[in-house]
Formats: sequence, structure tokens, C-alpha cells
Amino acid sequence: MAPILMESSPFASHFADLKPLLEITGPAWLQSARERGFHEFEAVGVPTTRDEEFKYLPLRPLTEWKLAPAHGATLDRQQVAKLTLGEIDAITLTFINGQFAPEVSTDDLLPDGVFVLPFEDAFLAMPETFEKWLGKVATTSQKLGTTNDDRFIALNTAFLQDGAFVYVPKNTKIVRPIHLQFVSDASVSPIAIHPRVLVVLEDHAEAVILESHVGQTGQYFTNPVTEVVLGAGAQLEHVRYQDETDSAVHIGNFAVHQSENSVLNSIVAQFGSAIARLDATVWVGGSNAETWLNGASVGRGHQRIDNHTRIDHALPHCQSFEVYKTILDDHAHGVFNGKIFVYQDAQKTDAKQTNQGLLLSPTAELDTKPQLEIFADDVKCTHGATVGQLREDALFYLRARGIPKKEAEALLVYAFAAEVFEKISEPSIQAAIEARLFQKLA
Amino acid sequence: MLTITNLHAKIDEKSILKGVNLQINPGEVHAIMGPNGSGKSTLASILAGKADYEVTEGTVEFEGQDLLELDPEERAAEGLFLAFQYPVEIPGVTNTYFLRTALNNVRKHRGLPELTMSEFTKHIKSKVEMMELPSSLLSRSVNEGFSGGEKKRNEIFQMAVLEPKLCVLDETDSGLDIDALKVVSHGVNSLRSPERAVLVITHYQRLLDYIRPDFVHVLIGGKIVKSGGPELALELEANGYSLIEGELAVAA
Ligand SMILES: Nc1ncnc2c1ncn2[C@@H]1O[C@H](COP(=O)(O)OP(=O)(O)OP(=O)(O)O)[C@@H](O)[C@H]1O
Ligand SMILES: [Mg+2]
Repeated sequence: MAPILMESSPFASHFADLKPLLEITGPAWLQSARERGFHEFEAVGVPTTRDEEFKYLPLRPLTEWKLAPAHGATLDRQQVAKLTLGEIDAITLTFINGQFAPEVSTDDLLPDGVFVLPFEDAFLAMPETFEKWLGKVATTSQKLGTTNDDRFIALNTAFLQDGAFVYVPKNTKIVRPIHLQFVSDASVSPIAIHPRVLVVLEDHAEAVILESHVGQTGQYFTNPVTEVVLGAGAQLEHVRYQDETDSAVHIGNFAVHQSENSVLNSIVAQFGSAIARLDATVWVGGSNAETWLNGASVGRGHQRIDNHTRIDHALPHCQSFEVYKTILDDHAHGVFNGKIFVYQDAQKTDAKQTNQGLLLSPTAELDTKPQLEIFADDVKCTHGATVGQLREDALFYLRARGIPKKEAEALLVYAFAAEVFEKISEPSIQAAIEARLFQKLA
Repeated sequence: MLTITNLHAKIDEKSILKGVNLQINPGEVHAIMGPNGSGKSTLASILAGKADYEVTEGTVEFEGQDLLELDPEERAAEGLFLAFQYPVEIPGVTNTYFLRTALNNVRKHRGLPELTMSEFTKHIKSKVEMMELPSSLLSRSVNEGFSGGEKKRNEIFQMAVLEPKLCVLDETDSGLDIDALKVVSHGVNSLRSPERAVLVITHYQRLLDYIRPDFVHVLIGGKIVKSGGPELALELEANGYSLIEGELAVAA
């Protein structure tokens, strides 16, 4: 007998409805993975505020909205460009409501051995790589921690159907950025979407990936999971841009596995959604790796924006630098939870975490929780958290030079967030995100 | 140009200015000297429009307007400039972007067309050279990580770009090496004209060797207790404030 709570979750009926379709999509092992994912999720169900990891995040819409499984929708190139970051010159894969949309994607000639494919093609092109890594990165099993909670990853796996696959072979550098864009359109009814991304950079491969999540209209729940594997000496710049509709629920996971000498530069922009949560999780499983996690979020109205980061330093001589900033206005509420685990073997770890909040209204609220758990003795770990208002002295200085109050305030807010986006090395992406930020604040 | 009459001001119930009177005409250079904590920066901040202070009595007239009624940005646009004693660091806003935004707002107020980036670059070129500012300082965030001297040079550079009518310098000389002092003084002097006035706040006679004042005032305990010509500064340099404080005590 299922407990009452679960009966109100729509996902059991979605799973039953979609099963015939899912079964014939992809290899056989995938269907077992889906079954496992489904059971793992159903065992715990939609979290309530009694679940430690979701204590501050009311997810009632998931049970109250009468979500339907995602259905197809069509949008033309202009509509998509308007929603995302405009026309960025990139190798582009677009997914609408989780389904690959070739008419708004690009068809590029890629260097030998490089793949940027929807799953349907990836199952055929690289079945072993797919099987080797899918589901192995986005998981906290075998990791330290007492509140590990993978239920939304399990839910995503249960419905895994389409997604984006990126593969860069050894010693190959892709100069053009890769843009994976996920567009949601819930004009007909509230829907649930479970997009998935798998990125594999082999040893000494290099790439720049922009992953954007945007919405056209309506209430929907999107539950994207991205898994990234970085081989030895691989370098990835990953920009994750979230600007869903203002009634969307976005629960995202971004998980990375780093090998020795690899460099991850992650930049997160969270602008949209009624409720947004991102878990950025990095397993540093090789020595001398470098991890950069940067994030900036802007919340207004009654938006809820949560950022949870987790870095597992498992091996020695690694460095991580983390800067997350949150700007909240009106009644917006944000959470920053930054976990750093330093395992017993991870001597000489150098980890630095900074979290800054800017509150533009007395009713905005930011809860921050740095969480450092250190099991090695020769390490350098620091964290700093500040929450404040706009600096009066800076505001006065700008006004004393002739800049009107409103403009001076916007300039300071913009500067606060823009510092994060300065970490983006690809000028076209940086400019596009900064332009969006400017619009957002105007 | 500027008429301060019987100005009283307090902060957090602590009264700081206790009846300041000062008249500055176009073309003049005035210097204010006075011991630490006597209220010099307070006076400068009130002129620039800092909200922390409460004016309890008196008036300030600038170019025929009630200065105290104007917002800080309006005062700047009307031609008042304060070079801060402690210039503020603003991470994330580049010096050039900031200054162009400021200049264009001021120009708009004066009915002049806004400058494009390339026009702006041309406009500031000679001033950058005059202030010997390395171009890297222009692309960096406003004052962030600037040395003390660089901050002060940046203040005078901004002043040269904004071309105000009244330049108020609050201890611009402190923290400058001898060469930088010359550069800064040269910057100020280059702005001197029959239409412009300068008010320098300083502790040291040395700056006044470079920027020759027409009048020197001594501010003690929130009041101007003595005014004179340039020779007053020399006298203070030689004797300190104790002599004047003594005279005041006798008179009281
Ligand atoms: N926010 C404040 N709260 C309380 N007292 C203040 C505040 N700001 C200034 N004061 C006091 O007002 C007095 C005048 O300060 P002000 O900065 O104007 O002096 P100053 O003449 O510029 O001194 P200095 O030569 O050291 O720069 C000082 O006693 C100072 O402590
Ligand atoms: Mg002072």
C-alpha cells in the first residue's frame, strides 16, 4: 500500500503512461536504469519541508498543478532566439519540451571524432561511452554526507528519453562554443519535463559549453540533469543560463567528475522561474585539478532561488574557488548552501568559498549556509559570507559625480553581478548574459 | 558664486558646524585649514549633499540657488565638484564607464549632446596625459586597489573631465609624494579661470606653494575663527593652532 503522500504525486501515472514509449527508446540497459530511477524516487516521493535537503523549498506545485507528461511543441528560430540569448554563433542543439528540434538547431561539420548529438543518435554513435558514464556522475552514493538526496536525479533518469550528448576526443580543442538550449512551452497545460545532458571530454580535450534553460509560456516543472566527465588535463568552461517563465519550477542538477590536472570553469546565471533550485556538484577525483564555481542569481516578486553547491575533494593538491552572488528584491527569497568535503587523502587542498547577498528590499530574504567538512589535516579552506544592502558610500560617490540616484543604484547592482560574468571567457556569451542582466534590472 | 551663512550642522545629535560664514567669488582660490576633527570634511560633505548630516540653521547659496535643496547629482550637474578625502572603491564598475556616464549626465543637464565612446576617449586624452594616469587605471574598477596617490590623481582627473565651476578639494595633498603633488597641483591650476573658483582643504602649507590661495581661513570647533591672506598659512605652519586658540580663549 502506497502512503497517501505518493498518491498525490503525478509521476506514477506519467511513468505508466509513457512506459511503452520509453521501452522502445534506447538500449535495453537504459530501461532497467529507468525502472531503478522510478522506484528510487517513488520510495521517497516529492519532498516536503520535513526533508532536510528541501527544508526551505515548498514544492507544492508539483502535486497541486495536475502536471501532464511533456508533449511536443513547435517554435520558430526567431521565437527561440528571443527567449534565449539571441543569435549566438555556436554549434547549437535545441530541445523543445525535452524533444530534439532539428529545425532550430545547427548542422555543423565537426572535427574528427567530435560528437554533438541528440541522444537518439548518440545511442548508436557511442553506445559504450554512453553506458559507461550515464548516471555515474550525478550521484552521491559512495560520497560523504548524511543528507545526500538524489531523488530528482532518479526522477530524471526514470523519464530519460531525449537529451544532448557532447563528446570531445583526446587532445582536441573545439574553438566554437557549443550551445545546448532547452526551451519549454506549456501553453496547453502544466507539464513535467526531464531534460538530460551528458558531456565527455577525454584527456586534454577543451570545450566551451553554454547550456540555457528558458521558457515561452505557462506553468511547468523542469528537472534537467547534466553530467560532465573531464579526463586528465581536460578543460571545460560551462555556462548555465536559467531564465524560465515566472511561473515555472526548475529543479536542476549539474554534476561534474574531474580527473587529474583538469580545469572546470562553471558560471551559473539564475534569473527566472517562480521556484528555482540548482545543485552544482563536483567530484574532484584526480590530483592537481582546478575547480571554479561562479554564480549570480537575481530574484524579484515572490521568486524562490536556491543554489546548492557541493565539492568533494577526494585527492591531494587540488584547488577550488567558489563565488556565488544573490540579488533579491521585493519578497524574493534565496538560499545558498555551499558544501565542501575534504577527504582524508586530500592533503594540500586549497578551497575558497565566497558567498555574497545583496538585498534591495526589507522583505527580501537570503539564507546562507556554508558547510565545510574536513577530514584531512594539511589543508587550506576558507569561507566568507556577507549579506548587505547597496553601499551608501558608493551610491553617494556616484551621485556626487552627477549620476542620478536610480541609475547609480542600477549600476551598482549590475556591477555586483557582472563581476561573476567576467569569468566567462567567450565574449559573445558574456555580452549576451550581461545584456540580459541589464534588462532584468532595468 | 558660493555664500555660506551661519551654517550649523549636526550628526547623531552631535553638533559639528556651529555657524560657518564664507563667501567665494568666481576666480578666487580659498584655503581652509584647521585641526583634526574641526569640521572641515563635514563642511565639504554638506556642500556635496551627503545625507548623513542635518543642517539645523543657516543657508548655502550656490549660483543663486538654494544649494541645500538640491540632490547630490543636481549639485554636480550645476557645477559643484568635491574631490573626496577618501575616494570610494567601486568594484565591477570600470573607471571609464563610470566617468562617461557621469559626464553624459552632466552634459545632458547643461544641454550638450552626449558623447559616444570614441568621442569620450578623444575628450579625455589630454587630461589623462596631464594627470599622468596609466591607461590601465582607466579600464580598472573605480579606485579598486588604487594606491593612495593614484586615487587622489583620479579625483583630480575626474574634476578635469567634468569641468565644474566650484572645485572643493578635501585633503587632496595627503598621501601624495612630491612628484604627485606637482602633478595634482598642475591639474588644479590648469582649471583655474576667471569663471571658476577653488576651495582647498589642507593641513599643509606646501600645497599652497603650488596652488596659491587668495584667502586662507582657519576652522576651529565648527567655526571660521580667523581669515587672512596667504601669509596666514605660513604663520600657522610656524606656530600651529595654539596661538589662535589662545587668542580665542583670551577673547572669550
Ligand atoms: N558619523 C559620525 N558620527 C559621529 N561623529 C562624527 C561622524 N562623522 C564625523 N563625526 C565627527 O565630527 C567631527 C568633525 O569631523 P570632520 O571629518 O569634519 O573633521 P575634519 O576637520 O575633516 O578632520 P580631519 O582633519 O581629521 O580630516 C569629528 O569629531 C568626527 O568624529
Ligand atoms: Mg577631513
